[in-house]
Amino acid sequence: MSDTNVLPRRLPLPAALRRWNITVGALILTVVVAAALLAPWIAPYDPFRMASGPRLSPPTAAHWFGTDELGRDLFSRVLLGARASLGIGLAAVAAGLAFGVSFGLAIAFSPARLKGFFLRIVDVIYSFPDTLLALALVAFLGPGAENATLAIAISLIPFYARVTYGLAAVERAKPYVEAAEIAGNGVPRIMRVQVLPNILQSLIVIGSIGFSSAILSAAGLSFLGLGVQPPSPEWGSILASGRNYIARAPWILIFPGVAICLTVLSFNLIGDGIRDLTDPKNRHRRA
Amino acid sequence: MTKALISLHDLTIRYGGPDSPAAVDGVSFEVQPGEIVALVGESGSGKSSISLAIMALLPGAAQVGGSILFDGADLARLNRRQMEDIRGARIGMIFQEPMTCLNPVLSIARQMTEGLIRHRWMSKAEARARALTALADVGIPEPARVMDSYPHELSGGMRQRVMIAAALTLDPALLLADEPTTALDVTVQAQVLELLVDIRNRTGKGVLLITHDIGAVAEIADRVVVMKGGRVVEAGSWDQVLNAPRDPYTAALIGAHAALEQALVPDPMTEGTHG
Amino acid sequence: MLTFVARRLLTAAITILVVVFLAGVLIHLVPGDPITAMLAQSGNASAVDIARLTEQYGLDKPVWQQALLYVGNVLQGDLGTTIRGNEPVAPLLLGRLPNTIILAVAGLGTALALGIPMGVIAAVNRGRAADFAVMLIAILGVSIPGFWMGLTFIQFFSLHLGWFPVAGTSARNIVLPALTLGIVHSALVARMTRSALVDILNEDYIRTARAKGLRESEVLMVHAMRPAMISIITVVGLVFAHLLGGQVITENVFSWNGIGRLAIQAMLQRDYPLVQGFIVIFATSIVLVTTALDLLYGLLDPRVRRR
Repeated sequence: MSDTNVLPRRLPLPAALRRWNITVGALILTVVVAAALLAPWIAPYDPFRMASGPRLSPPTAAHWFGTDELGRDLFSRVLLGARASLGIGLAAVAAGLAFGVSFGLAIAFSPARLKGFFLRIVDVIYSFPDTLLALALVAFLGPGAENATLAIAISLIPFYARVTYGLAAVERAKPYVEAAEIAGNGVPRIMRVQVLPNILQSLIVIGSIGFSSAILSAAGLSFLGLGVQPPSPEWGSILASGRNYIARAPWILIFPGVAICLTVLSFNLIGDGIRDLTDPKNRHRRA
Repeated sequence: MTKALISLHDLTIRYGGPDSPAAVDGVSFEVQPGEIVALVGESGSGKSSISLAIMALLPGAAQVGGSILFDGADLARLNRRQMEDIRGARIGMIFQEPMTCLNPVLSIARQMTEGLIRHRWMSKAEARARALTALADVGIPEPARVMDSYPHELSGGMRQRVMIAAALTLDPALLLADEPTTALDVTVQAQVLELLVDIRNRTGKGVLLITHDIGAVAEIADRVVVMKGGRVVEAGSWDQVLNAPRDPYTAALIGAHAALEQALVPDPMTEGTHG
Repeated sequence: MLTFVARRLLTAAITILVVVFLAGVLIHLVPGDPITAMLAQSGNASAVDIARLTEQYGLDKPVWQQALLYVGNVLQGDLGTTIRGNEPVAPLLLGRLPNTIILAVAGLGTALALGIPMGVIAAVNRGRAADFAVMLIAILGVSIPGFWMGLTFIQFFSLHLGWFPVAGTSARNIVLPALTLGIVHSALVARMTRSALVDILNEDYIRTARAKGLRESEVLMVHAMRPAMISIITVVGLVFAHLLGGQVITENVFSWNGIGRLAIQAMLQRDYPLVQGFIVIFATSIVLVTTALDLLYGLLDPRVRRR
């Protein structure tokens, strides 16, 4: 590792897979992603069709996860729900990352006096938890999957901006960037050609860490009725519509909830593993 | 020869498994009461591991072989509780870094008195009175003010004196000083070393002085043990070692020191003490 | 020390003003004309209503002027009136504040009571089975959505075992929501405690304390925990902020009559003044608590105190 940079430029994949948390996380994630991608083909029933089976049927051979209050097949709904959750997560992280990185770079290259002011604002917003931020934004944007995605994306911006600023500020102080500046290269060109490629790998890793927060927020918003609207299947919204039946049909509670937990856990495990791998403090432990 | 205060026999320390290279390999020496023994060696020679082994403060992974006889007991075989009763009370220890060896969030008073309260069952007031005397004994001008300070409010030399005073409050028979002067500037170094000699003269304690700087101990040590790569390469009285080093490594250490001295002052041998 | 306090208070005041200003701006995120959107919700919109609301929000003025108008009103204690029922927002929210504070304190207390011992156990047994177990629990804790844990608790403890009422706001009812918030956030506390303590246990002054012959328990509880508490206090603010975020959802799961429950109702009914008021009150609480903890930190750490 060259300097104070938090993450190495290249993560050695074989070494990464030797850590149990990364391996387990990657395995779970692979299953979830496969389920999301293949959902329309694996799902045994139409997730919207009512009375696919008896109402509130416990798990059976025909309905692996049981059925909900309208007789819809829960297994099919949870499978399709993976699409919604991962889709919202991916879109929100991509948008949040794009804007966050732009802001972070802009702050890193802004004049000294403005820099302090911008950082202060980012820090103020960053001091509020992202769930709360997403909630406040969606309140004004209005409920719905698109608005929830947008709100979650915006709520991630301060985090990404802060991290990008940190990485870019380190990179900017390096001799080769200074040299480029002296050579008369314009700031946008330096950002694009010199700084961005060098911090990209770190940013992708950090982007993946934002996923767990995005998926939790999405599920929370949908549960409150502010995200994905019924009857569309999403883990949070399945839980919301099933919450009145949990006494009689605990499976409505268990399966979507476990799906959220496992997905979020997989991102957290991977994120943790990467942090272990890159934290110089941990290196001595298992030399 | 009088009965030794502490004697190490064939002490071996490994930080890995039984096949890993030994950090300390078959070291034996003794410290008599009233004697200052200098354990000299470059960093990595194993000298600090020895002092930590005596106190049983090595990290959990360390394997200790051989024996450390002190007061009729083998310190290498005692359990944690027994060791806790010996540390501080019977063997005092002074560490290298006065900046980091005092707890930054506890007052000097607390850090000076806790040993007395723990080992001597003193009340807070008694312990405070005893600590004030100890501070005055090590030449601290305003002991009461220092007592109510926090470590960051004191200079490096002051902190080192506080550390020494804290170790002395319990009147241990043996004092281990691990590089007590390394972090200090030259004039303060000389003062601290003089203080150690003074303590020895007044109390008749044994002192094991661990250092990489053969020059620092030149004036005060009675005997020298030179270590390299975990082994003792030379041991004897100071005159013996300095004037007729048998091992080339010792000669090199002395040579390096003499060259340094010569560069600094015209005639090192007649100069006497530094301060 | 005085300048330290003054600086922190000033920063807090500015932060609150910025947040109130942003809350004033937020209403412009509403797609289309906010007045129409609001009145569409309440049904019969008359020209008089539209004029009244336009006047109240100064919607005929530029955005920044409206936001400043809002800041001015908030500074005078006026958070506007609700769309439904035309009630003043401030008393409505403040009336619910005690319930919210009680639950937040109970949740934070539970999080600390569970998380700190877990972190200590992990740090002391670093690299051993106990450490691994605690860290596994902690990572599971941050992966479980609070609302789902809440529902699971209701299903098991209230419906299945019948130990607690399913919903409501009473002393007996606080157990499950406080436990939900506490468990979810104890994971964060445990991780932070562990990392603070692992660093401290490697410090030279811990070795000094051991060399004095102090009992290992005293070394841990005094020499290691005092400095660790100082770092833990700085992160309690962060945990509190996260906890308030989770609390909005938890209040809804358990039908706890706090601000969070009111806020979600307001959001679903598009009662914007009420939502703005909720943002202002929650943000102010977070800033106040964080500032108070920063000051406490200054008081506890002699290196800051004597400056």
